[in-house]
Amino acid sequence: MLQCIFFLSDAGEVMLEKQMTGHHVDRSICSWFWDYVLSQGGDPSMILPVIASPTHYLFQVFRDGIVFLACTQVEMPPLMGIEFLCRVADVLTDYLGGLNEDVIKDNFVIVYELLDEMMDNGVPLTTEPNILREMLAPPNIVSKMLSVVTGKNSNVSTKLPDATASSIPWRKINTKHSSNEVYVNLVEEMDAIFNRDGILVKCEIYGEVQVNSHLPGLPDLTLSFSNPSILNDVRFHPCVRFRPWEADQILSFVPPDGEFRLMSYRVKKLKSTPIYVKPQLTSNAGHSRISVLVGIHNDPGKTIDSITVQFQLPLCVSSANFTPNHGTVNILADKTCRWSIGQVPKGKSPCLSGNLVLEADLEKLHVFPVFRVGFRIMGVASSGLQIHRLDVKNTPSEPYKGFRALTQSGEYEVRS
Amino acid sequence: MFHQFSATAESLSKASSLVLRIGTDAHLYDDPDDVSIGPLLESRFDSEKVDALKRLLALLAQGSDVSQFFPQVVKNVASQSLELKKLVYLYLLHYAEKRQNEALLSINCFQKDLSDTNPLVRAWALRTMAGIRLHAVAPLVLRAITKCARDPSAYVRKCAAYALPKLYDLHHDEDNSSFEELVDILLNDHSPGVVGAAAAAFKSVCPSSLFLIAKSFRRLCEILPDVEEWGQIVLIEILLRYIIARHGIVKESIMFSLSTMSTTPVADGFPTFSGTSGSCQTLVGTTCDVNMITLMCKSYIDGQIECFAQTGCSNSSDDKLDLSLTSSTNDDVVMLLRCTSPLLWSHNSAVVLAAAGVHWIMAPRENIERIIKPLLFILRSCQASKYVILCNLLVFAKAVPPFFSQYYEDFFVCSYDTYQIRALKLEILSIIATESSIPIILQEFQDYVKDPDRRFVADTVAAIGLCAQRLPMVASACLEGLLAITFYESSLSSSSQIDGEAGVLVQAIMSIKAIIKQNPDSYDRVIVQLACNLDRIKIPAARALVIWIIGEYSVIGQIIPKVVPSILNYLAWSFTSEEPDTKLQILNTAAKVLLCAQGADSLAFRKILSYFIELAKYDINYDVRDRAHFIFKFMPHSLMTSSEKDNNSDISQNGRMHHEPGGKILNGKMHSSISSTKSSRIYLPGSLSQIVLHAASGYEPLPKPCSLLNTDLTAGVVNETNDSDISSGSSIEESGSVYDSDHSSISSDDGNESSWLDEEPGVSSIQTSQQASSGRISINNLNLLVEIFFENCSSEPIKNIALKDGESSSSVESSDQVLGESESLLRTANVPPVLSTEEIASLDPGQRVKKLIEIRFPHHLLPLKLVVTCNGKKFSTKLWPDIGYFLKPLSMNTSAFIDHERQLPGMFEYSKRCTFKDHIEKIAPVKDDSSIHSDKIILLSQILTSKVLSNCNVSLVCADIPVSFNIDDASGLCLRFSGELLSNSKPCLISILVEGKFSEPFVLTVKINCEETVFGLNLLNRVAAFLQ
Repeated sequence: MLQCIFFLSDAGEVMLEKQMTGHHVDRSICSWFWDYVLSQGGDPSMILPVIASPTHYLFQVFRDGIVFLACTQVEMPPLMGIEFLCRVADVLTDYLGGLNEDVIKDNFVIVYELLDEMMDNGVPLTTEPNILREMLAPPNIVSKMLSVVTGKNSNVSTKLPDATASSIPWRKINTKHSSNEVYVNLVEEMDAIFNRDGILVKCEIYGEVQVNSHLPGLPDLTLSFSNPSILNDVRFHPCVRFRPWEADQILSFVPPDGEFRLMSYRVKKLKSTPIYVKPQLTSNAGHSRISVLVGIHNDPGKTIDSITVQFQLPLCVSSANFTPNHGTVNILADKTCRWSIGQVPKGKSPCLSGNLVLEADLEKLHVFPVFRVGFRIMGVASSGLQIHRLDVKNTPSEPYKGFRALTQSGEYEVRS
Repeated sequence: MFHQFSATAESLSKASSLVLRIGTDAHLYDDPDDVSIGPLLESRFDSEKVDALKRLLALLAQGSDVSQFFPQVVKNVASQSLELKKLVYLYLLHYAEKRQNEALLSINCFQKDLSDTNPLVRAWALRTMAGIRLHAVAPLVLRAITKCARDPSAYVRKCAAYALPKLYDLHHDEDNSSFEELVDILLNDHSPGVVGAAAAAFKSVCPSSLFLIAKSFRRLCEILPDVEEWGQIVLIEILLRYIIARHGIVKESIMFSLSTMSTTPVADGFPTFSGTSGSCQTLVGTTCDVNMITLMCKSYIDGQIECFAQTGCSNSSDDKLDLSLTSSTNDDVVMLLRCTSPLLWSHNSAVVLAAAGVHWIMAPRENIERIIKPLLFILRSCQASKYVILCNLLVFAKAVPPFFSQYYEDFFVCSYDTYQIRALKLEILSIIATESSIPIILQEFQDYVKDPDRRFVADTVAAIGLCAQRLPMVASACLEGLLAITFYESSLSSSSQIDGEAGVLVQAIMSIKAIIKQNPDSYDRVIVQLACNLDRIKIPAARALVIWIIGEYSVIGQIIPKVVPSILNYLAWSFTSEEPDTKLQILNTAAKVLLCAQGADSLAFRKILSYFIELAKYDINYDVRDRAHFIFKFMPHSLMTSSEKDNNSDISQNGRMHHEPGGKILNGKMHSSISSTKSSRIYLPGSLSQIVLHAASGYEPLPKPCSLLNTDLTAGVVNETNDSDISSGSSIEESGSVYDSDHSSISSDDGNESSWLDEEPGVSSIQTSQQASSGRISINNLNLLVEIFFENCSSEPIKNIALKDGESSSSVESSDQVLGESESLLRTANVPPVLSTEEIASLDPGQRVKKLIEIRFPHHLLPLKLVVTCNGKKFSTKLWPDIGYFLKPLSMNTSAFIDHERQLPGMFEYSKRCTFKDHIEKIAPVKDDSSIHSDKIILLSQILTSKVLSNCNVSLVCADIPVSFNIDDASGLCLRFSGELLSNSKPCLISILVEGKFSEPFVLTVKINCEETVFGLNLLNRVAAFLQ
């Protein structure tokens, strides 16, 4: 069980502490933790998620510049602690419309109230976003304005959500909507690795079926795919019934209200990627050149946009200059170069070339950077997964159904 | 709306952030105390009170202590506004324990709220009331929980389940039955949410009362998929423990099949017992690390390995299967496996891992593979959980590599991984590589070698070495690659010193060394190649390694003996410019070469060695000088010849090297000491202990197979016991100083203790399982003999003096003066603390009588209440235990001490500093006597040691005396003591480090390593106290 949760900024400042059990944890653990972070290089995203300090075991999750730090002194599943912290981060992002230091500080009261609802005595209590939303209204522009005008604002519900008592805790009992619609959205991330010879080593899709439902009553939905056999691995939202999936690979569920992730899946061993990135580094006798070529490989039929190429120059490079024939290049202080291309123009393939100046006593480069590629394709599910049909039962009238798809890059990297 | 502004992006974002801040509580966080909070709390308006509380919360968030407002805040607990209530509760929960008296004021309000019609109000009231931790209201809280456990609202019942551990944590006694009863009610709830919460309560309140699970096992399994995700994690674990305790290990499971392999003869790496061999044979090519799995089973299960040893022997007779086994067709096992398998699709990775853990332990071997894919899939959830999952996968992969061998792609390193994740992936890759996948994996490794993170590159190089050792087929290819890396790196590091390059080079040569070691004869060319490039390798550690390789394999093959003389000549030329590490290795190598040399070469080698020794004798580094003397002394025969040439032929005929001690030392086989130590600790899958690699407090291995007996299951929880006798004990007036207790003589024994318990007929009437009662023994197993002197200081004789245990006598009193034997029958659950009571008929004035009583302390912190009766009156007194006597000496040597110390890091190590002055007056008189100067430090050690030994029952392990030019300085003196706990014979190590000068008070650092954290910390305080 978690004894305490701290929120730290990326400079090590303690923004918030919430004691979860009667055994209070002193704040000094945070300064120990920060000393540890500094001793490990100062980047909170690079340190171990589970740390044994002299007095406590610490779990930490780093998200958007905020360290979520939880302490315990007794044995508990570490994944439980980490998953819970991730869930806290998700819920806060959802409530506050983003996560950063200011947003947490500005809304500290609601953060406290949320934490108190989400955990009791160090054990997760209510983490279902829909119920939380009913118990504590998220801040929105209307309530903010109201509080400015009237000086009053209470976001605490006076009534226990009915769903806490029902067997489907993710849904309100009597949802009334003026709208009657459901959207299914396939969001896929493509992970790929090209080795130093330019050969595709691994390419897989990590996808999610996101559903946004605004349906009245207690609807019962059935979603089926035309080609479920391509799915290698699946994970489901608790609302999905296991039996129909085991028998016929059909998703049968009573959806929560609003947006949620119905299912995650993985499709492995894909053979091709939509774009290619060809980096080339030549280095000898103190003179190093770099050139990166980007182009469309197998045209997916839709435009590929937001193309970026990012890489980190090796430490031994003292300075560099780049000239792209398309897009812009930014070099950050930590030697990260980011080439934003946008869309590939017609009749021209984007190319970045530049010279690297090495440290004085080095003759040639011996380490080579890895190029991370980002892109987005609207309207295409690259895995080839196709939705066959969506049936809605138990609604007064036939709802509007919408389908969309999106592919974006995940851990997509090209070694040079 | 911003289009009208025609603003730049920057001012736009500023404006929007301003808009976002309007209406939030930003100003409260920035300046929480810009208005005085006190008056606001007294305001008539709820909104102002809310404002004040938000300010208090902001201060609290920033770490200030705002407990001074507690009385004003408590008053608002009666407010009707729910928002205000919530904020008050948040504040209350934070400070209630500090301000106990004021917090009591709020209890009435909670009581009222508990009967509110709004379930939310009831739930909050219960949560807060249980959370404020007031001992005084513990009975009220218990009543409130009992009431709420039958509440119509599921949410309130869930909160009741959550409140149970809070209350248990605050106040619990030997008798757990009221808690068990509540847990039982809640576990049988029809709402899945409540069951999940009840599981959490079960785990913290009565984890060993597995009989509670027995009656509702099937229902719990069926409800499992509907329970909330967090409840699932706990419930899965409880169900697994129940199955093991009830039915034992599944005989088709991986745990059993492989643990028997270690005890019975094995053919082809397959289990050979007849019953299940068929199913195992179907997994063609499945080879497993037997040692690893045996170790795993040992660590998973409580009762150690003896149960396996038995089954291993009884294997031959199939029909007489051991009791601790069950088959995979057992209904309960099938049920559990069936109900946990859909959870492998859960979107919570902790649930997936917990479900996978059940399958790993219980499922038949051929069905385990289904957990692999879900486990690999959750690797993609988030960076933090990735690390934890990989740590668990590593153990699985080590046990049965073939399960993972086809999924090697999932362990390819990508640039988004942190260093720790990369290291784990490399380790797994090198374990699961097979002959078919190794070419692809090696190709991948070649890419990693050019990675900018050189620490990772060094690990990659090590992984290549491991792969080559595992798969001899690729060894030569790996060697080629490693040699290329070596030459490339050595050319690099010559030009400049880059961070981490040295590490890569050293690791590459280490890997080469490891590969050569497997089959030195076939790699003589590699050795020659390395040797010929020695001048290009500049890193001292790397040079030393290469020189070692040359020395070790100097007589192998045809070519090496030919190049060795020229290498030695080269080294003789460069010796003076080498680093000390390299010099040491050169000396060793020269000596080894000489010992192995035959015929004509030996003369030249002898010359070179004596040249080296001459050089080294006058080296600036004392280690090098020392080594030179060492070799010179140990090889007198080989070296003597250089001065007495006429004996030369004689000795070479004798085959002299075996007669020389030097030959034994230098030619002894190296034992690899690095690899075996790290991975020897395994804990249950998914546990915290597995990640931090030591048993976290509260970690419990699986229960002993079949330890849950059938008789336990039939009986329900029926014993309602009144705990009134304990509380009434305090009503007796305390009047100490009737006698003085002197507990200086100690004799502890634990042998007769358990036998006594066995004879006790009353124990069997309590329905606890076997573990629970044995746990009780271990706590109470602290017997002391106390010598008591009774002296009559008054002028009149005193009659009928008796000494009794304070608690029992009060219960005797309440049952109308029933004396003697009935006493022990009344108190069935508790063991009487005083074992022998004799009456003294009378005591004359001034007379002194000595009595020996045997005493059992309940706990090392709690005093023992005693009642002295004389002349018909009662005087109660307390006997405080001295924590030092809860130890007994444990003799060990220094290395064992250091080993133990290393095994108890982090949580189990505590230290404290204190000053020490006693030496000043004791050593001062001898100060002018110069002959005793040198003994001052010994004198100090004696003082310290006698102090420790007279206060703690431990033994002295060693005293490290510092070598120092300053006579007055005692810094560095280190005394080590060791003992073991009487209760559970776990080791407890004390080390005292002295700093400072004799003329001043010393600063002592006392460090204790002990697995029992509470005991250790108390002991630490005690040691620091008596040293001061």
